[in-house]
Amino acid sequence: MSKKYSMIENGAETSKIKKFFQKDFSQVIIFAIPMLFLAVFLLYPMGITLLRAFWKPASYNFKFTGWSLDGFRQFFRTKLYLKSLRNSVVVSTSVTLLTLLIGVPMGYCVARVKIPGKKLLVSLGILPIIMPSFVGAYTWVILLGKNGILRVALNWILNPFGIKIPSIYGMFGMILCMTLTYYPFVFQMAYGAFSGANALLEESAMLMGAGKARIMRTITLPLIIPSLGAAALLVFVRAIGNFGIPAVIGGNNYVLPTLISFAYSGDGDINFSSSIAVLNVAITAIVLFVQKYIVSRREYETISSSHVEVKQHEGVGARVFAIILCLIVLIFSLLPQVTIIVMSFFKNWTGLLPTGFTLDNYISIPRKAHRELFNSFFLSIVATMLCAIFGSILAYITERKKPKGASLLDLSIMAPFILPGTVVSIALISAFGGNSVFKLTGTYTILLISYMIRRTPYVYRSVAANLTQLNPSLEEASTISGATWFYTFRKVSVPLIMPSIISGSVMTLTTLLQELSTTILLSGARTRTVPILIYNAVLANSLGQASALSTVLLIVVFIIIYAMNSRKGTNLASSMKM
Amino acid sequence: MSKNVRYENVNKIFGLGTKNEVHALKDISFTINEGELFCLLGPSGCGKTTLLRNTAGLDTITSGKMFYGDVDISTIPPYKRNIGMVFQSYALYPHMTIFENVAYGLRVRKVPNDIVTKKVTEVMELVGLQEELKRNPSPTALSGGQQQRVAIARALVYDPDVLLLDEPLANLDAKLRRYMRAEIRRIQKATNITTIFVTHDQEEAMAVGDRLAVLRKGIVEQIGTSDELYNQPNNAFVANFIGKMNFFNAHVIASNNEETVAEIDKTGIRIAIKKERRHVDPLVGDVVLVGGRPEYLSVSSEDEDDSIPGTVRIIQHLGSFIRYEVEISGEISPVTLEIDMDSLQKNIHEGDKVYVTFDRNRVALFSPEGRDL
Repeated sequence: MSKKYSMIENGAETSKIKKFFQKDFSQVIIFAIPMLFLAVFLLYPMGITLLRAFWKPASYNFKFTGWSLDGFRQFFRTKLYLKSLRNSVVVSTSVTLLTLLIGVPMGYCVARVKIPGKKLLVSLGILPIIMPSFVGAYTWVILLGKNGILRVALNWILNPFGIKIPSIYGMFGMILCMTLTYYPFVFQMAYGAFSGANALLEESAMLMGAGKARIMRTITLPLIIPSLGAAALLVFVRAIGNFGIPAVIGGNNYVLPTLISFAYSGDGDINFSSSIAVLNVAITAIVLFVQKYIVSRREYETISSSHVEVKQHEGVGARVFAIILCLIVLIFSLLPQVTIIVMSFFKNWTGLLPTGFTLDNYISIPRKAHRELFNSFFLSIVATMLCAIFGSILAYITERKKPKGASLLDLSIMAPFILPGTVVSIALISAFGGNSVFKLTGTYTILLISYMIRRTPYVYRSVAANLTQLNPSLEEASTISGATWFYTFRKVSVPLIMPSIISGSVMTLTTLLQELSTTILLSGARTRTVPILIYNAVLANSLGQASALSTVLLIVVFIIIYAMNSRKGTNLASSMKM
Repeated sequence: MSKNVRYENVNKIFGLGTKNEVHALKDISFTINEGELFCLLGPSGCGKTTLLRNTAGLDTITSGKMFYGDVDISTIPPYKRNIGMVFQSYALYPHMTIFENVAYGLRVRKVPNDIVTKKVTEVMELVGLQEELKRNPSPTALSGGQQQRVAIARALVYDPDVLLLDEPLANLDAKLRRYMRAEIRRIQKATNITTIFVTHDQEEAMAVGDRLAVLRKGIVEQIGTSDELYNQPNNAFVANFIGKMNFFNAHVIASNNEETVAEIDKTGIRIAIKKERRHVDPLVGDVVLVGGRPEYLSVSSEDEDDSIPGTVRIIQHLGSFIRYEVEISGEISPVTLEIDMDSLQKNIHEGDKVYVTFDRNRVALFSPEGRDL
């Protein structure tokens, strides 16, 4: 009796082992690798940074210096630091409001008013984001500087009203530059929301007797609030994390990212930098929660069965207004690009017009910048490919397999999206710089890691959005046909999510080519990139050379985006959402 | 080789151990024969799709066993089960031509190219798409009915042991649906692959299936041919799901082995029901339901013996017959009666008072449980 029992037991045991080996483990392994990567290169450095923020500030010392609140105490007692905190908040808040003020009406005009060349307007409207923001900043110095042509012109127009353009160095300049750089986020999302809205909802309101204003107030606007909230958050996060613009035209108005950078590269004080970084993240986190709180109560499932085109305004007044608005915004936001291209052919531009026509700026590029060019393209392309693989697999896992802890994974992937570049750099230096066991600062590896950590969200979000619209039965049908998980992933899932992988990758590649805020702290003499070179040239006032390099970047980025736009089904906006 | 499918005490519990536990399949045990076209029928939420997805292996059962032939497949992953499945949305790959869609399962099995071409051509002829295969477009360029055929071809091409169809006709218009269900039956009989067909449409199930299983709340209520289910429903639920059944509240007056006498409440009408029409084991005094199909009832403007007074609400002309919806006292039957007559009763109009009688030899006796769907 007992023997028989144990035999059954044994049988169960062997079948258990057999089952273990029959299981499809590829997905477990594929899940584990990215998790490990995130743990080592994101969670661990961020943890260290959080700890260091509470260590005693010390110059050029990576060792444990004892617990203390000195970092924060020093921060809140020093006028300069407090002022930079205030500057950060003022700049990012005003930029967010101004971009909404410009982007929403413009999005509405392009989506809902009958005007020619809409496609062109949308494409032109994305250009400002694809130029390094600090490049934009120094063109405003040329145009709105002391003898700048635009300042003279505007002062001549505005003088009768008693208005004078304030100095470009300082708050006015930072807010102007960031607004013109970031309004495309709001414009693109507002345009998408206004043109994608279910027209039947508005038509039914109209049939029930609601006037245009009422429909706008009660139907149209409430439905796009989630999109606008996402865009506003995106702008705020960018603005508060922006390093390039304040570094170039901030003058003596510091903001948190420039403060972090100078605290580290000036005093070598990683602990104090960490304290500022923690403060910087805290502000972002507060804004994020407020935004989520406002938007979460207004999240709507759009139920639409048939697709009806939204009605467009056809009145002459509306059309003229729309065209004028779009033109003014586009001209102002594209002035930097034009200025750079012009500047790249001249030696100087200090007065009204550029002087000293030359091709030297271009001819000298191969000699002066060959290493940087190689670094920029090598690092950006390799990092983009890694991000594409990493991001799409992660999106696939969280969206389709919904493992336990998926929300934690999602949070870890998206966290760098709201972390300023300088903060990520400080975290990586905390963990892998100085006397740490794996000293990585100044290597290609650390740049690739920081790029991956910061840019994976693009592909991840874009692919995740695509997957939610893809019927899971497509993959199930493949499984039923006898395909393993990996075969299905290769032959069915990847081809179907390819458009979103491409748009995410394009976003990644184009932004990496212009990356400044992380690179400036992490690169060494041998790993400098083109944006660093441009930045240094701007600081050294050799604008001709900086412009020529910027023009090269601009053309490369434009070609990439143009090539992508001519492909069907790709959509940059989907990788920008949070 | 076609195989039979056997379920032994299959249970499926979603969210086991959580607050929202849902017992979707309860102790399911039955066998689907080799080469049979078997329909799983039931209202939404009855568990029919859950049972199908578990048969496919897309979900795993909580307890019990499932067999294809003699092989226990309960824990075998879906890609090793050798099954074909047609999804409600067809799930055709938009990035492949129809040839590559159909060839997919063969490519997975690393079948040589020449055999792939041969088998795809054969199966496309079987489903009647040989002309479309010559043009070989993307599936998005095909009509709904053609996409449906491609999906069937894709599921059949690698000779699966079992074919699973998940509401395959739900996305087609009414006329095409009737045509395609005949086509599915023709194709199934030509290939003789054991097939499970899930639907919520009883007319479709009756027209297509060799046998049907009616499910409700995770339980198999009855299995049988269309004829058996229609004429000998086990209970009030099946009776009213497979076709329409009108019920009258009644109680048992007398009962023996051969027949039961029931009296319809508030009317004094007594009916003797033979044992083969008795789907409940009644004791004297039990509350029961007397059920009659619409065609076994009739309306008249004259008060006859043993008739129930009521009011005509709606008269529907449905081609071969006329349907009268008649409201009677709520204590006798709380829902409106549906009565089908061969021809229009000239002197009866909507709103008129009428008298309902029924064919005493065709009515049946049910337990009151399961009367409401």
